Amino acid sequence: MIKAVMMMNTQGKPRLAKFYDFLPVEKQQELIRSVFSVLSSRPENVSNFLEIDSLFGPDSRLVYKHYATLYFVLVFDGSENELAMLDLIQVLVETLDKCFSNVCELDIVFNYSKMHTVLDEIVFGGQVLETRSDEIMKAVEEISKLEAASNSISLVPKSVSGWRGGR
Amino acid sequence: MSGMRGLSVFISDIRNCQNKEAERLRVDKELGNIRTCFKNDKGLTPYKKKKYVWKMLYIHMLGYDVDFGHMEAVSLISAPKYPEKQVGYIVTSCLLNENHDFLRLAINAVRNDIIGRNETYQCLALTLVGNIGGREFAESLAPDVQKLLLQASCKEKAALCLLRLFRKNPDVVNADGWADRMAQLLDERDLGVLTSSMSLLVSLVSNDYEGYSSCLPKCVKILERLARNQDVPQEYTYYGIPSPWLQVKTMRALQYFPTIEDPSTRRSLFEVLQRILMGTDVVKNVNKNNASHAVLFEALSLVMHLNAEKEMMSQCVALLGKFISVREPNIRYLGLENMTRMLMITDAQDIIKKHQPQIITSLKDPDISIRRRALDLLYGMCDVSNAKGIVEELLQYLSTAEFSMREELSLKAAILAEKFAPDLSWYVDVILQLIDNAEILLPYAASKVREYMDKIAIHETMVKVSAYILGEYGHLLARRPGCSARELFGILHEKLPTVSSPTIPLLLSTYAKLLMHAQPPDIELQKQIWNVFKKYESSIDVEIQQRAVEYFELTYLVEDVEDTADQSAIKLRAQQLPSNALVLADPQPVNGTPPPLKLDHESASQTQSQPNGDLSKAQSQIPSADLVGEMVDSLAIEAPPVDMGSHQRVYREEDGIPDEVDGTAIVPIGDQANKVEPIGNITERFNALCLKDSGVLYEDPYIQIGVKAEWRGHHGRLVLFLGNKVTSPLTSVQALIQPPAHLKLELSLVPDTIPPRAQVQCPLEVMNIRPSRDVAVLDFSYKFGTSMVSAKLRLPAVLNKFLQPLQLTSEEFFPQWRSLSGPPLKLQEVVRGVRPLSLPEMENLFNSFRVTICPGLDPNPNNLVASTTFYSENTRPMLCLARIETDPADRTQLRLTVASGDSTLTFELKEFIKEQLIAIPMGSRALVPAVPVPAAPLAQPPSPAVDANDPGAMLAGLL
Repeated sequence: MIKAVMMMNTQGKPRLAKFYDFLPVEKQQELIRSVFSVLSSRPENVSNFLEIDSLFGPDSRLVYKHYATLYFVLVFDGSENELAMLDLIQVLVETLDKCFSNVCELDIVFNYSKMHTVLDEIVFGGQVLETRSDEIMKAVEEISKLEAASNSISLVPKSVSGWRGGR
Repeated sequence: MSGMRGLSVFISDIRNCQNKEAERLRVDKELGNIRTCFKNDKGLTPYKKKKYVWKMLYIHMLGYDVDFGHMEAVSLISAPKYPEKQVGYIVTSCLLNENHDFLRLAINAVRNDIIGRNETYQCLALTLVGNIGGREFAESLAPDVQKLLLQASCKEKAALCLLRLFRKNPDVVNADGWADRMAQLLDERDLGVLTSSMSLLVSLVSNDYEGYSSCLPKCVKILERLARNQDVPQEYTYYGIPSPWLQVKTMRALQYFPTIEDPSTRRSLFEVLQRILMGTDVVKNVNKNNASHAVLFEALSLVMHLNAEKEMMSQCVALLGKFISVREPNIRYLGLENMTRMLMITDAQDIIKKHQPQIITSLKDPDISIRRRALDLLYGMCDVSNAKGIVEELLQYLSTAEFSMREELSLKAAILAEKFAPDLSWYVDVILQLIDNAEILLPYAASKVREYMDKIAIHETMVKVSAYILGEYGHLLARRPGCSARELFGILHEKLPTVSSPTIPLLLSTYAKLLMHAQPPDIELQKQIWNVFKKYESSIDVEIQQRAVEYFELTYLVEDVEDTADQSAIKLRAQQLPSNALVLADPQPVNGTPPPLKLDHESASQTQSQPNGDLSKAQSQIPSADLVGEMVDSLAIEAPPVDMGSHQRVYREEDGIPDEVDGTAIVPIGDQANKVEPIGNITERFNALCLKDSGVLYEDPYIQIGVKAEWRGHHGRLVLFLGNKVTSPLTSVQALIQPPAHLKLELSLVPDTIPPRAQVQCPLEVMNIRPSRDVAVLDFSYKFGTSMVSAKLRLPAVLNKFLQPLQLTSEEFFPQWRSLSGPPLKLQEVVRGVRPLSLPEMENLFNSFRVTICPGLDPNPNNLVASTTFYSENTRPMLCLARIETDPADRTQLRLTVASGDSTLTFELKEFIKEQLIAIPMGSRALVPAVPVPAAPLAQPPSPAVDANDPGAMLAGLL
């Protein structure tokens, strides 16, 4: 089971964090900080695995990928395969790349709610739900359509209601 | 949903905040705003509600508590329209957790959506339950979710939702009723549904595989279909690999069944596995590589689990051997990990041993994750045949290994050495090397031994070892529960009746050490231990008797001297005088007969065993020097220093001063007559420098070390002025810094020689990484003529140097104060034993260490509030707040509350302020700003007259 998904930039600012087992907010912050402090000290061209028993308890694993200014991190238990989790990060990144055509950190910062929607389509309650980027995109668009329909009723200017608006 | 202008504006406001404080203010403002909107405006549009909800989530992610709006969120779930319902679901699943009371209120509304006809609503409800559903949800919803899983829509989500409910309460899915339907689910063609179902199956069988054997052949079929790439839609292939996630999950599920009995299923499975093992190559594309190796490693695991034929096993080992030497670090890592698992399988060890050189190379990999895996593997594969080689490699690595790995590394080397030692002399060599390497292991060793002592029956040898280790290092544990000197004594003393007489002297030695190490001195413990010593003073065993007598005298003497000097042990300790006086005792005549000056062991026993009755009273009886010397080697390190001038004792000529040097003392080696004493009190000099930025750090007749410092944010620059006061050069000058973990220190080159009457400047760059009260130590030594002088000096790069004064108004102070609610960010403590200060004096004290008093903020005139900013690399500038509530009736107690955005900082700052307030001697001078006060005259030789042209004196003037 996946325990947490985190995205943070290379300065340690969290960009997206989702924990699938309940943790108090201070604990979440502490974990994000500790993970970042380990990640930031890792050189390039080493493995994508970290030993994190001391942070998340025994039998927990962490894989991460470093893209430009962002770290993508997955924490999970022994019932998942490390490389498959690494593949899942790739799916997430490729999907975001399609969503925002050449995704960059700013897209992620300013489309906070959409990030959640995308993530929820890929990981559900700590389990892999969907791995096809196109399907994920479709589901996300579906949801925005539903919302767009309702937004127009409440007289919100078109410019901020469209699913790609505001970028 | 992506285009919420309000949200974007808020996010960019946050991004524009210069520091954490500004961010906090902005967040507080926004939360206030949202709260009011929720409270007042019943007619909020769904769009607006949603906007606020996303802001709340964003704020939550930044680490702030959002503790309102829960009720609103839950009630939105039952709203009739999609937009409001959606907002309700999103915010509920993000802000509430399964233990939340409000969530119970939602169960009915959620159930209505699950059993309703609207597929979109079903998905929303399943997502909520799948993410935060708890036990109560499990009990009320499991049957509905199971039903949904067998219908057409939302199958994936329903399967994962059921998985969640099963995890919360395994009783809701019963193998008898569910196994058939589970198997039916595995007949699905759709790979998405299969992926979710397989996750569900893994969860079910990991709990209990019984009853699910009908799923076994289906799993094998699915695996065959994927591995042969039959009927796999294009969109389910990932870099050319048919859904690696499903392949992996399927093989994982198979590993929860103990065996596969049906021969034809087993045969088909092995065929598929063989195919995977043979058919995977390392390719250029990283993503393709990852995906194919995910499948390959899972297949390896499964083969190991099924304990396949020998041929297939050796094929696996060969593959792993290939993996651990490839370039791709992930594959290397997993190769090592799986090789460690392979060790469990008989026969595999010998093949793995062939790879030992490659594994040892991995111990030097740039990646610590890989190094750890290599260490685990080497540890696992070690046996009598290769122990020597492996342990020696580990020891060699130990000297260069990073801090975080050393403890484990040493421990593993020690265990292996003990387990597989080919001969005893080699074992001793290894252990000596380990101890040599591992100061950090000492507390560990002590705590381990302490654990052993809790066992009911332990071997006498263990008692001896424990007694020795706890005596030597027990004080390193003093802060841990159950490890105070008194408790250690209690637990050791319990063992005394069970041991044979040769062990008793050892225990007595330990008691003496415990007593000497106890900080602060423990009168009750002393009484207990003295009683023991007194009891054994008349022991029939001379060895026991002698130790009892000697240790009693020894510990009594220390006490006596302290009384005369009217200084508590802690005070003396703080002044850091040499502590070697203990050995310098003069043997006094017993029964009127002067003993020979140098007693050997036997004669000492004789002389002392005769006058039984007298000894207990003879306070002037001094222990025989040889024996005490033996013990003092260890005692001297931590023993409270004894002042020599105040007591008439004579230096024994032969072994005047032991080689042991007290942690902070100045001791010339060799020439006793020329013993170099520091001028002034080192501790007081240090304390003064903690509150100002220039002054003298150390001075003796030959050298003066001055300090001048500038601090900016978390950086600091200290200049050490080394001034030679005499007309001959000081040689072999060495300055080593022992930095604590939280400081980065860089000392520029220190010249080997300081010419006569010259002054050398050595800049020292300081960077503060995180809050800590540890202090950097300068290990300074030089040679004057033939005498070597060395000093360990604490450097005034202390916590308060990284504070910047900051005065807040009440509008700024109170929102911050309130938002930091409770531990660990806000800590409160009633401090007793405070030295009585008037309020203005206390204000001065706080201001002197840069914690600014904000006057008039607290309505109660007996209270002070203060603020400051702390700078470190990790925390960035961080606001710290403090409140001191004094009791006008009793100035020796007060209540101290400290708050900041970082729990470590809060704690360290609180302790720091406490140290400043409590009336220990080092604090009492803290307010005396200018010249360091000369130390107690007793302890000091007369200072040499200072020449007006003396560069040291001039330097002091300059500073």
